[in-house]
Amino acid sequence: MTQFEVYRIGPEIKVGTFDVSFTNASLFMVVSSLAILIIFNLGSKKNSLIPNKIQLLAELSYTFISKMIGDTAGSKARPYFAFIFSLFMFVLFCNMFGMIPYTFTVTSHIIVTFMLAAFIFIGVTIIGFIKHGFGYLKLFVPSGVPAVLLPLIVVIEIISYLSRPVSLSVRLFANMMAGHTMMKVFGGFVISLGIVGGWLPLSFSVALTGLEILVAFLQAYVFAILTCIYLNDALNLHH
Amino acid sequence: MPKDQFKTRLQIAKEKLSKKNLRDNSENTTSIGAAFKLSTELVSAVAVGAIIGFILDKTFGTKPWLIIIFFFVGVIAGIINVVKSAKKMQK
Repeated sequence: MTQFEVYRIGPEIKVGTFDVSFTNASLFMVVSSLAILIIFNLGSKKNSLIPNKIQLLAELSYTFISKMIGDTAGSKARPYFAFIFSLFMFVLFCNMFGMIPYTFTVTSHIIVTFMLAAFIFIGVTIIGFIKHGFGYLKLFVPSGVPAVLLPLIVVIEIISYLSRPVSLSVRLFANMMAGHTMMKVFGGFVISLGIVGGWLPLSFSVALTGLEILVAFLQAYVFAILTCIYLNDALNLHH
Repeated sequence: MPKDQFKTRLQIAKEKLSKKNLRDNSENTTSIGAAFKLSTELVSAVAVGAIIGFILDKTFGTKPWLIIIFFFVGVIAGIINVVKSAKKMQK
């Protein structure tokens, strides 16, 4: 489908054997990052007691994320606020920009979401080892398991630990991609059924747009909250 | 408007807000989030298990056996994942 196609904008740039040209995907990443920067700069410029709309938006999202971190990862995760906040905002803006017709949804490509998830996974593992040393490996050895079962349990725990970045990335990617495909399919029904029967899929399309906006927000939220949960495992180790 | 009056009114408004809207909203979003979480957790562990089995098979040359074993270990890991997060939700 044309909406998922990645094409080059401008000249071809190569570093070694890697093609690092500027594509439409990079364009939309830049656009969403710039939008975040502009909105939050405007929102934090004037600290009036009675906020205007943009300031209210910035403050609401600040308290939302800060409450989320406090609930899931505790006070120890406070230093990572900036990272989780930017992560949430980036995913949210990429998802939301994708809802505008004729735009490109960056998060509907697995490589983008997988790189985000792999970055989080590696970062959390490093944080865990820094905080607990080799004691972090206790995460793979749950207490109260008979010695006979221990090798099997350790393998299972390692697999479930390694499955974190996969589930994190596949969830975001699949939801965005499936939603956009579904909207495309219903749009196709409208055309093929014509003016007589096209009204039903058209109304479905309208409803789906609302659902997709909900999913776009929710997936960004789930992405951020799972990062908090993984961070919580790394910071407060007691299983 | 005198300051004290404003303060008490603000207090009442805040209490109302925290009691009703905020709690309902956050519970709703977290439960939908949890539903999304569970669905992929089961599958991803199976995929990771199968991939590990495939890689080990290639390195040791024991073609079909390790991938079968690790596939089932992955299934177990997926089920354990789901049970764990379900337990976390009930707390």
